[in-house]
Amino acid sequence: MSSNNSNRKVVSIIAGILTFMPFLFLIMVPTYVKTQPELGGLPFFYWYQMLWLFLAAILFFIAAVLWNRFGGD
Amino acid sequence: MLSSYGLAVFLILFAVFIVLGFYGRRWRKGDLTKIDEWALGGRRFGVFVVWFLVGADLYTAYTFIAIPSSVFSIGAIYYYAVPYVAVTFGIAMWAMPKLWKVSKEKGYVTASDFIKGNFNSRSLAILIAFVGIIAELPYIALQIVGMFSVLTVMLYGIGNIKFIEDVSLIIAFIILAFFTYFSGLRGATLNAIFKDALILLSVAIVIVVALMNIGFSKAFTNLPLKYYHILPLQVNAYWSLFLMSALALYLYPHAVTGSLSAKSPKTLRTSQSLLPLYGVGLALLALFGILVRGDSSAMSFLSNFPLASRGTYVVPGLIFYTLPSPLVGMAFLGIFIGGLVPASIMAISQSNLLTRNIIKEIKPNISSKVETQIAKISAVLFIFLALGFVFMFPLSYSVQLQLLGGIIILQTLPSLFLGLITNRLNKYALMAGLLAGLATGIYWMEVANKFGPWTTTLLPINNSVGPIFIGFLALMVNLAIVLIGSAIALPFSKK
Repeated sequence: MSSNNSNRKVVSIIAGILTFMPFLFLIMVPTYVKTQPELGGLPFFYWYQMLWLFLAAILFFIAAVLWNRFGGD
Repeated sequence: MLSSYGLAVFLILFAVFIVLGFYGRRWRKGDLTKIDEWALGGRRFGVFVVWFLVGADLYTAYTFIAIPSSVFSIGAIYYYAVPYVAVTFGIAMWAMPKLWKVSKEKGYVTASDFIKGNFNSRSLAILIAFVGIIAELPYIALQIVGMFSVLTVMLYGIGNIKFIEDVSLIIAFIILAFFTYFSGLRGATLNAIFKDALILLSVAIVIVVALMNIGFSKAFTNLPLKYYHILPLQVNAYWSLFLMSALALYLYPHAVTGSLSAKSPKTLRTSQSLLPLYGVGLALLALFGILVRGDSSAMSFLSNFPLASRGTYVVPGLIFYTLPSPLVGMAFLGIFIGGLVPASIMAISQSNLLTRNIIKEIKPNISSKVETQIAKISAVLFIFLALGFVFMFPLSYSVQLQLLGGIIILQTLPSLFLGLITNRLNKYALMAGLLAGLATGIYWMEVANKFGPWTTTLLPINNSVGPIFIGFLALMVNLAIVLIGSAIALPFSKK
């Protein structure tokens, strides 16, 4: 029972960190207010945030699967 | 005007859509005279259906018309919609399964049911229901702007602009009202899948064609700096816009409805976690606001409209001038039902709140048949009320309709989200905070717009902070009152 509980705690911390990453990186707005490097003529400001859509989905999905499996409902 | 070939594609696909809507009523059959069935689809949808259904709420006129219009008219700051979509599901994947569980155990259908059970307060529940209904009105108006913009571009050339705009508005309203009355959420769900398939296809085709013909380098040539990225003084506006929008999305009654239709909390969490992917199309559409500047025929078409409404025709205009007419017909239908389906889902959730949380509180023993009838009629009535908001902001700034709805709905955050975490909040403090948040929000709207016509939801603070989204400021007032009030009341409460 107690190992189950500590597992749960570890999973909740990992899931929490994974969920928090996109918030952390995107809230630091000044880090991406720039034009260079461009991607196919598209300023950094635009493609960097688009990239975060993929990263967020990956991080959230891992967090969801981990929690659904080991955490609970 | 759209060629007869393009028009035929539009009409045939619309007919398919309508048939699907009616078929949807019988799909996984349930008793549609019961409100749970009409409004929740019976709580039995799996990961992908929920993914489509909730994601469909994202692909609305906000995505197709409002955001590209603002990026076109104002600049990179309205790209805030992208980080908004990236983070909002990080909140939802934890909050919504929790709400789902409580709702299932206690038979809740709306967020207001939850408030009533959690805080044991009828008046707070009625207040939350009322605020939810009001907040949806400008959001529905935005959807009507979307449907209207497509029709206007389609009909362009058959008469003067004023006449076309009037006809377009009337057609949009009639179709929306009929669709909502007859199909309910179940119909809207099956339609959402059709709509999304159509839309993703259209977005993909247009972006490929536009990039091949125009390219970003050409589109960015000679544009002012505010189109390359936000300006240093817009940093606070940017994070407050995307963070508040992320918090607001799941406070809307319609978002709750879609989530509650999932089959289990785990199903719901998995589909939420994958929803940021839906934002890729949104980001590309936002960039249409810049790409269009590289297409001279689309730009000369847009110059027929005054600046105050020009932005709203950016996406339909670019599609019209870059694609062959059958594909134009398909893409236009995608945008049209992209306003229709969400507007319908929103009106249904409003009527849900009205019947369950307001009328039934006052008159508890009406039959479920009468309840459904009232819900259907009131949904149409709300659509009519929403029409009054359509021209509240100049059409180019229609994104402000959604942000205004955001300012209003954010004030229910303490009751709903904090209510999921703790039960130590005082219901009178919650009510006082909500009302103070609404009052200061509206007051700051007036100050920000210098007591004239509304064009912005950003309040300029000073020369070093720059403007901030009013929703954030009003929420801070609200939260301060809730926390201080609850702290004072705590020693006096019985528990």
